[in-house]
Amino acid sequence: MEPNLGTIVRSISIGPNREETGLESLQFREEIHRLMTVPPENGSSFTELLQLPETQAMELLHSAHSDEVVPVPLSGEPLHGINDDHKSYLPSFNGNLTFPSNKVLIERAAKFSVFASGEHSPETSSVPSDSSANLEKVKSEPAETDSNPNSSQLLVSDPAVNIKNQRSEKRKEREKKGKGCTKKSKIEISQDAEKLPYVHVRARRGQATDSHSLAERARREKINARMKLLQELVPGCSKTFAMQISGTALVLDEIINHVQSLQRQVELLSMRLATVNPRVDFNLDSLFAPESGSLADSNFHSMVSPLLWPEIPFNGNRQQHQQQWNFDALHRPLWGREEDNHTFITMENSLLNYESANSASLHSNQLKMEL
Amino acid sequence: MRNPSLIKEEFLKRWIIALRRCTSLKKNMNILERNKVVKLSADLAMASARNGTTSWSRALIANATRDNDNRILAEQILGPESEILVKRVSTMPFKTCNRRKIRSKRILKRSCSSAIRRVRKTVPRKVLANCIAKRLIQKRTHILKSLVPGGEFMDETTLMEETLDYIAYLRVQVDVMRSCTYC
Repeated sequence: MEPNLGTIVRSISIGPNREETGLESLQFREEIHRLMTVPPENGSSFTELLQLPETQAMELLHSAHSDEVVPVPLSGEPLHGINDDHKSYLPSFNGNLTFPSNKVLIERAAKFSVFASGEHSPETSSVPSDSSANLEKVKSEPAETDSNPNSSQLLVSDPAVNIKNQRSEKRKEREKKGKGCTKKSKIEISQDAEKLPYVHVRARRGQATDSHSLAERARREKINARMKLLQELVPGCSKTFAMQISGTALVLDEIINHVQSLQRQVELLSMRLATVNPRVDFNLDSLFAPESGSLADSNFHSMVSPLLWPEIPFNGNRQQHQQQWNFDALHRPLWGREEDNHTFITMENSLLNYESANSASLHSNQLKMEL
Repeated sequence: MRNPSLIKEEFLKRWIIALRRCTSLKKNMNILERNKVVKLSADLAMASARNGTTSWSRALIANATRDNDNRILAEQILGPESEILVKRVSTMPFKTCNRRKIRSKRILKRSCSSAIRRVRKTVPRKVLANCIAKRLIQKRTHILKSLVPGGEFMDETTLMEETLDYIAYLRVQVDVMRSCTYC
């Protein structure tokens, strides 16, 4: 690939120079780890999605809030119904959702729910255990609730009371949830919700306000965000609209095709590698190879025992040292010959031939392959 | 997206180490064994590169270490870190609890399908189309779950993340192997 490979190979093969090779490999690993632990773009895209539709965002916060605050069914049964499904994506919820304007949204929600609070109090008194228990839970999460414990209490008791009164409908809704007839049940529930006094003012017609469907919607948006990312990744997918359901199906189709074709390619290639003449060689070259000029060769043997490798200084790779690294993955007919070769080692980067990159620096010499 | 060439680097390095370890065990292998070795080492190489951060890598390792005949080979390939990895993989209790989940989901599905048949006659066209579309999506998600290793046990959001990762890994693998064969 690049001189990095040469160094890698060297690091594999050379015993005594552990420090330098260790350093290099450490650097690689560090970089790679850093890359791996970069928080996924999903998070950022999702927050963008959040900020755009503010009303929905607030309701989402509502639901996420209530979900986070009511993770454990303190009062047993009434909350039990919701939490089964929520638990499965609660952790992902907590991990991925970042609410930068948490307090602002909570305050806004508080303002809106103040209307309902007047009518709220009789209801909340009827559910004292729930709300108190939830309050405790609320207070235990200072990040979300420090600004407005009252509003959070209201927010929490909203879905709690809603849920209690709509348990039967909820069960029906849950059954139908996965099957796509949620619209009808949502309409029912929204109508019921609008009759009740503590319905959130922001409830849209035809969309339920209970935390269950809100969480469902949040989940759908997450999935759509990821679908967008996948769309960009998979070639030939950019034309379909990901937000519609039919678009999602098409995107999924493309994704499946892509994964299947990639898997088949891998099988084919591995078969080829296995069947090809055992002494398949290719040389890994340092990327100062343009000066060397002998890029045409590609021989790739591997030597199993590291003792065969002479000690080559680590920096030698960066210059015009040429090392041949024998990689005989498949067969071992030529042990003796490989042992003779250890003094003469050349490494050429055959992948460099395949690609187009030819820069001279060590780390910037990455493969410029378009994925 | 993460830097692809770094991933390639990492993959190649690990693959080479793995292959070397394999071939040191057995000097002469016939074609089938070679094939298996190549595939297995590539899989394990990439899976170990993820260090158990992603679910599909854990599933790959779990599958590889499950059969007894592969197990020794796999452990040899993974090398000294294998015990840590295998421990981490085995501590993921995704197998047992998910069987129950799967069974309950199947029961739900069966009950739902009967409910839908009843509903379909009275439901307006829009909702029907919605139902059909969702059915399509579900079928496809099911297929995708079968493709991605360890995918059957995930919910949809993690499935999408895993697919992203898995596609990147497959691409890297294909590129590296292609350049290996064409030289």
